Amino acid sequence: MAKIPRKKSSEPSMEVSIAGVRFKNPVLTASGTFAYGIEFAHLMDLNSIGGIVVKGISMKPIEGNPPPRIYETASGMLNAIGWQNIGADEFVSKKLPALQQFDTQVVVNVVGFNLEDYLEVTRFLNDFPGIAALELNISCPNVKHGGFHFNKDPRDTYKVTAKTKKASPRIPLWVKLSPNVTDIKAFARACEDAGADAISAINTLVGMSVNVERRRPHLRYVTGGLSGPAVKPIALRMVWEAAREVKIPVVGIGGIACAADALEFLIAGARAIQVGTANFYNPAASQQIAQGLKDYCQSHKINNINDIIGSLQV
Amino acid sequence: MLDRKVSVREVRDLGAGNYLMVLRSPDQARLARPGQFLMVKCCVGVDEEPLLRRPFSVFAIRAHARTGNPIGMEILVKNVGAGTRKLVKIKPGQELYTLGPQGRSFQLPEDAGKKTSVACLVAGGVGIAALYLLARELMARRVSPVLFYGARTARELVLRDYFENLGMETHYATEDGSLGRRGLVTGPLSRFLARSSRNGLRLYACGPWAMMRAVHELALDRNVPCEVSLEARMGCSLGACMGCVVQTSDSSDGAHYIRVCLEGPVMDSRKIDWNCQPL
Repeated sequence: MAKIPRKKSSEPSMEVSIAGVRFKNPVLTASGTFAYGIEFAHLMDLNSIGGIVVKGISMKPIEGNPPPRIYETASGMLNAIGWQNIGADEFVSKKLPALQQFDTQVVVNVVGFNLEDYLEVTRFLNDFPGIAALELNISCPNVKHGGFHFNKDPRDTYKVTAKTKKASPRIPLWVKLSPNVTDIKAFARACEDAGADAISAINTLVGMSVNVERRRPHLRYVTGGLSGPAVKPIALRMVWEAAREVKIPVVGIGGIACAADALEFLIAGARAIQVGTANFYNPAASQQIAQGLKDYCQSHKINNINDIIGSLQV
Repeated sequence: MLDRKVSVREVRDLGAGNYLMVLRSPDQARLARPGQFLMVKCCVGVDEEPLLRRPFSVFAIRAHARTGNPIGMEILVKNVGAGTRKLVKIKPGQELYTLGPQGRSFQLPEDAGKKTSVACLVAGGVGIAALYLLARELMARRVSPVLFYGARTARELVLRDYFENLGMETHYATEDGSLGRRGLVTGPLSRFLARSSRNGLRLYACGPWAMMRAVHELALDRNVPCEVSLEARMGCSLGACMGCVVQTSDSSDGAHYIRVCLEGPVMDSRKIDWNCQPL
């Protein structure tokens, strides 16, 4: 049941619109860090944030990589989860209805090992209401096939985006970009040219850690994706580059742990942001950030959050 | 499960890098079940490093002296790494972000009534922390818990006074022979099992992987139930990140993984693929 909030005239408007979909504020949670949202429902108010991007969904369940799958590093962590998920059928029957009880948008991250996988899960999800967008995960570094491999050459990114867009007539398509590339601007352009409705950036950076006593990697997969505050400067630079390159909205991700971090991304050009790793050590981080953005607008006499988006003076 | 900023009441040096920390948190103490854990941030600021919280068994509940109501929880912290190094320096009066109590708790047998039932509690090193609440609950159900506690040396057999004060039968083992039997704790355990009836016998274990595996194999051999409490590096501890998994034994159609934070930390030992140790 959506409540119609009564806004005082002095309250800033925190709404942003992405591909015609309204988000009550620019704060979302990142895929893989918030499961299907419900797991956090007793620790924060899920109605307080603009949206939840759920764990990547594939048509059939995926088991994921053998452990160890995570390892903490300076100002961040490595993960090599490997897309463990319950599959699309169980998602739409068990998780989506529960999520839709909350007054927040649901974005579904989609994964696959090859093009046909992406198309199949996209077509399947297009039959279900209440999904604000699909976020195409072609940037995960922790699987041997698919994902990552569409994000090595902009032409592959163009192809997978164009075909998936065609397979998603009812749901807007975001493409989640990898930072493990020489020039993210080329990939952003390819997505826009192929008809993507928005871009989200960045996914994790490939990294590694070694146990010096055992002389083995800390992750069974050897390499993993680095996330957390350590990646913020890189993520911010890439979001800034992408936002200048394309007209479609860019959703910023990477090391955001507080409202000031979120503001950096908005000012640099992001239409919205996603909070990831911070959810692990501060389960209410996204709610606090949403409130912090509002406080900032109030104290800086900003009437509409959109006024600061892309307002960076260079 | 609650997320609270709780006050540290006491930090007691137990020797050999082990510390008992007492946290004041009535809401959480009331909820704690044997085998559950707390996810504790190892420094005062929520954004301070190390970022990730660390899981600690709820070792004991502190009760109010007059009313007897639960007001706090005790955890065992061993200084072994980046997080615990900072945690043991926390001073009484400081506050720590604490999430929990959480996780799957030990399965308790129904009240044994007139029939005496025996439960073997097997601890290796800091694994002792998972078993005290269990020992108390078992005694309340008239099940006799017997403690088997092993470590490298006598100094590391911490907190054994808690168990001795319950009047439990205890068996110790140290690798250097400084207390109890020389060798691994599974030595005394297997001798005990060999001379015990398997009727009503249950095993509970917490300690290094190899120790729990050995206890599991003894349980299979005697055909008795066995639960273990696992440890894993955790990300979110809420079942969201899928970081803390172990491989299950039912892998006929490929590997399956379950989460130590949610489907555990207590698991039926038969559910685990003991060949696949997450290192």
